[in-house]
Amino acid sequence: MSHSHTKETDGPEVYFQYEDIEQQQETYLVGMWSFLVTEVMFFGALFLIYTLYRWKFHDDFYLVHEQLNWKMGGLNTLILLTSSFTVALAVHFAQKGNTKLQMRCLFATILCAFGFLAVKTFEYGAKIDHNLLPNHHFQYGHVEGEEEHHVESKWDKMLPSVLQVEKKEQHGNPQRARLFFSIYFTMTGLHGLHVIIGIICFTALMILIKIKSSLITDYVPTEMVGLYWHFVDLVWIFLYPLYYLIPK
Amino acid sequence: MAADHGHHEYTAGGAHAHHILPQKTIFLIFGLLLGGMALTIWAAFFLPVKSLLENTFFMQSLALGIAVFKAYLVVTYFMGVKMGTRLVKIFAIGGFVWFFVLFVMMADYVSRPMEPVVGWEKVPSSALPRDTVKNPE
Amino acid sequence: MSATVVGQSSAKPSEPKNYLNADHTLKSWLLSVDHKRIGVMYLIAVTFFFFIGSIAAAMIRYELTSPKGILLSSEVYNKTFSAHGILMVFQFLVVVVPAVLGNFLIPIMIGARDMAYPRLNLLSLYMFITGGFLILTSFVLGGVDAGWTFYVPLSTISETQISLCLVGIFITGFSSIFTAVNFIGTIHKMRAPGMTWYRLPLFIWSHYATAIVVILGTPVVAITLFLVVVERGFGFGIFSPELGGDPVLFQHLFWFYSHPAVYIMILPAFGIISEIISCFSRRPIFGYRFVAYSSLSIAFLGFLVWGHHMFLSSQSVLQGIIFSLISFILAVPSAVKVFNWTLTMVKGSVHFSTPMLYALGFMGLFVIGGLTGLYLASVDTDVHLTGTYFIVAHFHYVMVGGTILAYLGGIHFWWPKMFGRTYSEFWGRLSAMIIFIGFNLTFFPQFMVGYLGMPRRYHYYYFAPEWQFYHLLSTAGSTVLGFGFLLPALYLTYSLFKGKKAGPNPWNAKGLEWEYTSSPPITENFTQPILVTDSVYDYNPAEDSKMYEVDEEATVEDMNK
Repeated sequence: MSHSHTKETDGPEVYFQYEDIEQQQETYLVGMWSFLVTEVMFFGALFLIYTLYRWKFHDDFYLVHEQLNWKMGGLNTLILLTSSFTVALAVHFAQKGNTKLQMRCLFATILCAFGFLAVKTFEYGAKIDHNLLPNHHFQYGHVEGEEEHHVESKWDKMLPSVLQVEKKEQHGNPQRARLFFSIYFTMTGLHGLHVIIGIICFTALMILIKIKSSLITDYVPTEMVGLYWHFVDLVWIFLYPLYYLIPK
Repeated sequence: MAADHGHHEYTAGGAHAHHILPQKTIFLIFGLLLGGMALTIWAAFFLPVKSLLENTFFMQSLALGIAVFKAYLVVTYFMGVKMGTRLVKIFAIGGFVWFFVLFVMMADYVSRPMEPVVGWEKVPSSALPRDTVKNPE
Repeated sequence: MSATVVGQSSAKPSEPKNYLNADHTLKSWLLSVDHKRIGVMYLIAVTFFFFIGSIAAAMIRYELTSPKGILLSSEVYNKTFSAHGILMVFQFLVVVVPAVLGNFLIPIMIGARDMAYPRLNLLSLYMFITGGFLILTSFVLGGVDAGWTFYVPLSTISETQISLCLVGIFITGFSSIFTAVNFIGTIHKMRAPGMTWYRLPLFIWSHYATAIVVILGTPVVAITLFLVVVERGFGFGIFSPELGGDPVLFQHLFWFYSHPAVYIMILPAFGIISEIISCFSRRPIFGYRFVAYSSLSIAFLGFLVWGHHMFLSSQSVLQGIIFSLISFILAVPSAVKVFNWTLTMVKGSVHFSTPMLYALGFMGLFVIGGLTGLYLASVDTDVHLTGTYFIVAHFHYVMVGGTILAYLGGIHFWWPKMFGRTYSEFWGRLSAMIIFIGFNLTFFPQFMVGYLGMPRRYHYYYFAPEWQFYHLLSTAGSTVLGFGFLLPALYLTYSLFKGKKAGPNPWNAKGLEWEYTSSPPITENFTQPILVTDSVYDYNPAEDSKMYEVDEEATVEDMNK
């Protein structure tokens, strides 16, 4: 690509299609924001489905949500808020040009993301052992010919006692429970998928910065991945009270 | 023309000096977010007023209110909408406004019953098995 | 348009390199980030999908020539019309104008060197092709029988390749989201100095409106179809009535995108028509701001009418009435456009070149398509007409008569710019006539037979054999139509090799793409930076009419040869 008509400015290098660095930076941010609008609508449809069924079957949803471990959810909220904080710092240092601290913040963010996934593994593992994944093994509530519906899960036992919650009987309509867990697994699963994509993006970003790739000319790539990550955090801010803390 | 941008002052990272979120603000917002989270959990389990604890609408509004406040903090400061251009503000606000257009669908559900006929699932399904290849009529 | 060249170019001018001959290797095409090359690759890809979809259409028409069905079993017929619908909607109509003409023209029209995100543009091309490949694979592996709407619970219990097909549509959907993000970034930030919003060509306005609809609507259908995949694959039950879920919720979410999707298909076509009409009437577009704002209001109002597809579902009567009302209101901005185009021609110096013939055909057919839409927007007539061939005829009038005619008009209009060659005007006009006649012969009888009660998606009508007459007319018309579509494919390809060299501005049209670039344009479009100083549409009918006198003689000679 010819850079012959690119104006010389005092900022970083400019791609061939832009006039100056300011235009380039603003254009990237506008593009990222319009993509985030897409993401809002993407999760928005799921929140609508949640709202409808929660409104229709509030009592059942309240009873079923007691199967979720609110302490684990809270821990994940803490982890994600922290990661959002480290990303904000990473962008701050990227803007200041302090690559060393920027890399440390990005690394902390990736650690948080893995921590989030680890917590999710414990949660999902326990749910699957309890037959609460809504596939053909799904089983909820009292079963005829069985003394007590009680399934052990190694995932629960491995937890430190601080994070364990009191076991609740499986009350409520089993079909509504299946509906609840369908939406729960869809929403948290898609959110988890976004976390995994976030890890990939952060890792790629760190590698590109490390090898001083020509793709990273300024702070904007960090800011864009950061925007995406804040959005992931934003979704969880709403998921946590809506799933783990349903009031009576 | 782009030629007359005389005021460019870039930091080492390529950002305009006035676009940078100060470190102090980042810590403050982080503290507020953690406080909001603690408040949500405390209210959900340990709210001392019994009558409020049993008021579904109040509890849900409280939890969502705190969540909206946290979201506001993240969008405004961490995502930089406050310092962003007018265009970024429009997109940020527009996205969240349009999200509510989806909720026009709820108008359908509040104006009709959604209860299936009792016992309908025991009726043998007419859709399966489909035998249309052998008997086209 | 008035614009001046500013600054001095350091590159040597007068080198006849352009984007086509800049580099000849296959790699330079497949990995090109040049928006023009990507547009050309899109042109090839959508033509391929259109061809496959047309074969399915031909099978449907052949099957319907007999009241009892002659070629296909019910099962295969379901798969055939599903294939036709899925390919035509998701792989052709939604992408065709933005991806081919939009990609090619938007940066040139606003005076930019390329799209805002050239690599994202290339990615979206490959996602489109991947999605299309998966959809075709699902057809080869056994087909899909739920129609292009994938209503649950049929789509969740059907034992055909629906999951694979939905994954393909999901990927195609994200391809069009990326294209839309690119358009938004480009139109907002890449305009040349002086190119203010009200100096933009209307083509840009309508593509901007389209991009807004895409980023707001497509994610909703993506997640909805994803939920169907999850329901099929894992047994989750989000729309499943035995768990208390609501299948109608699927229809709500599906049409929340898919009604705006018809505006995704038709709005870019409006943009093309605005350009063609004003060029061949040699008059500035009448009521520029009204046309521009009507694009935006169609985009936004289009989100509030989805329920008119669901009058016969269990949707509440109250919401049905509200949706019906808004649907009627939505007819106003569409009418604004048609009236403005008509008034543009008044006192203009109208010249019936090939693109203009397509544009006039578009206007006639779109008016019929739009007005029959009002029958379907009113709750009580819709109860009679929905699910019949009336609705099939209605949306083909809008989609084929609207979008495809406008697309062909646009291709004919900008062909000399894209490839630097002119095609035969005689064959061009002939193809426009044949397509217009064939189209009406195909779909007008469907209005009548639909009104009489012929249900859509049936492959027999032995209970009313007297309808065979209409079906025979329709099939005959579709043969003519197919021939009409084949003609441009032939003479346009021929013109690539043997066509006369087109100058930079063969139509004497206005706009940056005509006045400031060569044909075909160079890789980064403009040799020098430009400054826009006036509106795009500064045509003058009195003076411009003289140029046709020379032009007419040339055409007559051409036809006598």
